[in-house]
Amino acid sequence: MTAMVPASAGSSRREPALGAVEQTRRKHGDQLLVGRGGYLDDHEPPGTLHAAILRSPHPHARIRSVDASAARRCRSVRAVVTGAEALSLAEPLPHFFDPSLVGGRTTTVRVLAVDKVRYVGDPVAAVVADSLADAEAALDAIDVDYEILPAVVDAEDALAEGAPTVFDEWGDNVLIRFPFAEGDPARALAMAPHVIADEIRIQRYQTAPMEPRGYLAHWEPTGKLTLYASTQIPHPLRTNLSTIFGLSEDRIRVVATRLGGAFGHKFNGYPEEPLVCLLSRMTGAPVKWVETRADSLLVGAREYIHRFSVGFDDDGRILAITDRIIGNIGCLATWGGWSMTYPAGMTLPGPYLVSDYDIESIAVVTNKAPWNGARGYGKESATVAIERMVDLVAAELGMDPVEVRRRNLIPPERFPHWTVAKHLDSGDYRGALDKVVELAGYHRQRELQRDAREQGRTRGVGVAFELTPEGGDFAGSYVRGFDTSTVRVSPSGAVTVLTGVTSLGTGSDTGIAALVARELGLTVDAVSILQGDTDSCPYGFGNFSARSLATGGGAAVLAAREVRERMALAAGVLLDTPPEGLVFAGGHVHTADGGRSIAFGAVAEQVYRRAYAVPGLDQPLLEATKVDRPRNLTHQPDEHGRMSAYPTFPYSTHVAVVDVDAETGQVRLLDYTCVEDCGVQINPRFVASQIYGAIAMGVGGALFEELPYDSAGQPLARTFTQYLVPRANDLPAIRLDHQCTPSPYTLLGTKGAGQSGVGGAAASLASAVNDALAPLGVRITTMPLSPPTVLRAIRSGGKP
Amino acid sequence: MDPIGSAAPARTIALRVNGVELTTPIEDRELLVDVVRKRLRQTGTHVGCYNGDCGVCTISLNGKIIKSCLILAASADGGDITTIEGFSGGEELDDIQQAFWDEDGFQCGFCLPGMLFAARDLLERNPEPSEADIRQAISGNICRCTGYVNIVRSVHTAAQRRTS
Repeated sequence: MTAMVPASAGSSRREPALGAVEQTRRKHGDQLLVGRGGYLDDHEPPGTLHAAILRSPHPHARIRSVDASAARRCRSVRAVVTGAEALSLAEPLPHFFDPSLVGGRTTTVRVLAVDKVRYVGDPVAAVVADSLADAEAALDAIDVDYEILPAVVDAEDALAEGAPTVFDEWGDNVLIRFPFAEGDPARALAMAPHVIADEIRIQRYQTAPMEPRGYLAHWEPTGKLTLYASTQIPHPLRTNLSTIFGLSEDRIRVVATRLGGAFGHKFNGYPEEPLVCLLSRMTGAPVKWVETRADSLLVGAREYIHRFSVGFDDDGRILAITDRIIGNIGCLATWGGWSMTYPAGMTLPGPYLVSDYDIESIAVVTNKAPWNGARGYGKESATVAIERMVDLVAAELGMDPVEVRRRNLIPPERFPHWTVAKHLDSGDYRGALDKVVELAGYHRQRELQRDAREQGRTRGVGVAFELTPEGGDFAGSYVRGFDTSTVRVSPSGAVTVLTGVTSLGTGSDTGIAALVARELGLTVDAVSILQGDTDSCPYGFGNFSARSLATGGGAAVLAAREVRERMALAAGVLLDTPPEGLVFAGGHVHTADGGRSIAFGAVAEQVYRRAYAVPGLDQPLLEATKVDRPRNLTHQPDEHGRMSAYPTFPYSTHVAVVDVDAETGQVRLLDYTCVEDCGVQINPRFVASQIYGAIAMGVGGALFEELPYDSAGQPLARTFTQYLVPRANDLPAIRLDHQCTPSPYTLLGTKGAGQSGVGGAAASLASAVNDALAPLGVRITTMPLSPPTVLRAIRSGGKP
Repeated sequence: MDPIGSAAPARTIALRVNGVELTTPIEDRELLVDVVRKRLRQTGTHVGCYNGDCGVCTISLNGKIIKSCLILAASADGGDITTIEGFSGGEELDDIQQAFWDEDGFQCGFCLPGMLFAARDLLERNPEPSEADIRQAISGNICRCTGYVNIVRSVHTAAQRRTS
């Protein structure tokens, strides 16, 4: 169990300010700008073969037989493997996060389906050929005899008595139920002057990174396996390959190539990771597989139904809430996305002080394709739900929705603040709300709304507050809250940081380099960073939950400080002065009075050249490796049954203004304002870029991104022609400002930036559209707020 | 036994790529983007959808920007191609590339080559574009990282620097 560290003790971790972190442009920009990114598919060693995967066309079927003999005779085919053949070649796949670790059900997953397919896209067989075209052509020659089984697509259908079961041995389709309850919500609801019961349904959608996944394996005859992977999490991926193939981990190298976006889509656990390794072993050559956009759009996320009740008094104070959340997680797979149902419940009741609540989040399996991680990780769903509740309270009482929020927000003096499943670190929630109201010109927007309505336009103003738990740590899995970094100084004075965290275009690589540079008195350009290569970097958990700076960044700072101490000892000898007062600045080590100095690189060179030969130069290890982690984690329930798996809680406030075209149902986003608090910002420019991107994803999810299935279980969005994402002309400029309440629990005071914005955008858009439609007596409880949905609502005239 | 499936029809085409005259064998069925990436190894041109939706494969062909996943390589025979590798015409970075770096106009970088071509195409047609002009000009290129905020700023900054 991790002990709680009180805020004061946490604060003492932070040292006196060293001066500003150097603000630079993105590292590697010069490479990306000229097309030298080095993404997965840019790597192609000579002799690379190409894999294609035969996938199930049925949502649920038994495999009677697979005849691949004709495929083996197709042009340039080097290998074919079926699920049955792979049984003896690969052990079951470890789960990214096995639900049985937290009391859920589980299943055994193989590299290819053996007896049954459970979703359209389930991998059944694979072909390797000289070219991708030949491999794809050979797939047509594989004959699979399926016995079609009844499929279940809708989560509520899946919960019904007698529903077909996705996993027969379970008896029903419930993967796990997560309860989160405090107080006596039944009594509080019964006593409440007002109670509203309603629901909101959020569609299945995903993050759609521009670069699809891909893997390139080379299993050499020497027994060394190298996998280039477009993955966020290279080290646990290596561990899993070791388990699957019984190959010692030290003989496996995983290289996470530069990622063209990830957002959770590139968590490890996919069957294609071991599959390309197996195919390389079978052929003795490098084998590559790259996800098609159609395959990529199979990956699900975010499909929830919230059925809630909210009790409140005449002043708009929320007295109790209940929320039964159903997450349609598709089929259970070894990709870990199912676990998003945990934060979907845990995040509630969000930023509000509610003493009595009863939340249950239920993960339900169906014959849709599995979920994987999606920026927001379920927290966006909680935000949409709680913000909807607050809006309903405001509408019922005829109060301003901002005022209802202000009355219910947790006040600053309550921090740190416990709910049953989180220990909120710090914040000034009302301050962030007031700031966004000011920045958005909220009251002016209300006046403009009145004018617009008088002119016959359907204008809405929406407000949202998003709480975004970050840095998740789940002991027992490889989803952990600590990480490791090494700082190394070469004889020339060049500094290299090697870290277990990965950066996905977030800028955390530049941020970590800047932090190390500050510790050593160097410029960012003098520090390089290596990530993602398991042969050179310390074991780490990659990127998820906006964790990179609070873990790998903190560790890099600690390592840099240790190296600095050793450099100071050496510099003291070389300058013939006590090491205590030496100052590292401007690429030099200066005496305290500034009278003398020696170049940083000269110290390193002298250490390597003269250690043990010069008296006092007896610490030549100019390299240090450190671990760091945020405090504020409670892994085991305390005496009140409370625990907290997330250490930091950034938050953001949002105001959106929309016009709804009542004839077409189209929603036009006119104006958007956000204030965010991610604690200390290492590089405010990169924080802003993260928030902008997250808001755009939330807007896309609110307005049009959707992965629909037909009732038979066939996915309907297979290209960007069906899966509509925001384009530049769908979005306005985003007005953004910051507030800073440092985390008392992280070395640098950071809380994590990366996911904040998705939920606030989705919620503020839902708020704005419902506000727009209110005069029509219409409300929408189904997302996305696409033209058909909006038109249907308008035409219903408020009748369900 | 003969393998199932016969070799695809093939030919040799001539191209000028980033100022270099060359010939390359292709299969008739090959898309221009695949020839650029796989045969010519100009991997700065990316693939995101093979459907013309996303714009990450945008290059310049005979002076016009095109989505190179939408045309067969055979139909580009004799053409003059500029890819991102030749974008700056010999300089390290041209002014548009500099503006994108200065304004943090990219994150993962995957859409970036296509965005740069769209930006240059706009500025050649319209040296003083409005925000709406910029948004329209890049609407054929999807970015999932930036929310387009800093891309729009980058193009605006590039335009301002040119006119000032």
